[in-house]
Amino acid sequence: METNIDLKKIWNTQKIETPNVEILYTKANKLKSRSFLKLILVNITLLLTITFICFIWYYYQPELVTTKIGIILTILAVIIFLLPFNKQFSLLTKNKTEPNSKEYLQQLIKLKEIQVYQQTTMLSIYFIILSLGIGLYMFEYVSKMTITWGIITYAITILWFAINWFYLRPKTITKQNAKLNKLLVEFEKLNNQMND
Amino acid sequence: MNFETIYKTYWQKVFRLCMGYANDTDAARDLTQETFIKVWKQLPKFRNESSIGTWIFRIASNTCLRQIQKDKKMPKSELPLEIKDDILDTNIEEDIQLLYQYISELQEVERIIISLELEDMNQKEIAEIIGLSEGNVRVKIHRIKEKLAQKFKKNGN
Repeated sequence: METNIDLKKIWNTQKIETPNVEILYTKANKLKSRSFLKLILVNITLLLTITFICFIWYYYQPELVTTKIGIILTILAVIIFLLPFNKQFSLLTKNKTEPNSKEYLQQLIKLKEIQVYQQTTMLSIYFIILSLGIGLYMFEYVSKMTITWGIITYAITILWFAINWFYLRPKTITKQNAKLNKLLVEFEKLNNQMND
Repeated sequence: MNFETIYKTYWQKVFRLCMGYANDTDAARDLTQETFIKVWKQLPKFRNESSIGTWIFRIASNTCLRQIQKDKKMPKSELPLEIKDDILDTNIEEDIQLLYQYISELQEVERIIISLELEDMNQKEIAEIIGLSEGNVRVKIHRIKEKLAQKFKKNGN
């Protein structure tokens, strides 16, 4: 028991000046507006895209059904991209009361697993639907071109999709998942310490 | 309780907990700040399901545990207190530096448990903060104290 008293005595010698509370308020407000701004910016950008696409539909009155399907698919892709982003945001902020550390670690692990899923599956779905949508949408306009120009247009588009799919997508996924998996291992390690 | 009272009452305590976890004044200061930003945001939602102390230490403990997420890009404290900090650092007594060092050699969860114990939280409260059973907490505290005592003994204290 002697060590007990000693440790507490030593522990309590640590004194450091409490910083002014105003500094905290400034910092908190800055953080708050920054994350809110990011959410708003992403949503507005994507909503503008949707509005723009709808405007094209309304203004040019496409005749072929492929164009319409293409437009719908593109909008769907945008929504698919938007949903998890917003959900992720609410997962982090909607906690009612602070959970205990054990629950907290489990929540973090779950959140990371969701993010891994989003990065792999959702990103791929997003790419497929978006490519399909744009490809279909283009058909009506390309069909009005000469055959040579039509082939060139589609070739360039397909090349662009291929770069996205075979190069950018795997690269993004690997990079993001490496980071997430490392964190997952760390959180699992902490979680295991609870059960020691 | 209003936020400023909480801030004044608990800042030192939370800082010591974070210091026990991080063993680095700058990091502990950042963790403490992060904890109080969270307290400030969540205070309107706090409904006295637990004592305010338990609640604050839960937030602090979770903030510490989450820290590894940012270890790589650990921001140096943005507070303009750096100069004061250096002076304080060198003035901290040898004993407390040793204690922090020994605690930092423990596992992360153990660091939090012993810091809470040294902060005079009882075992029931620690169990509520960490999410373990009281019995488990008791065993862990006993083990940790033995480890620390051994370390001190080795050093000739």
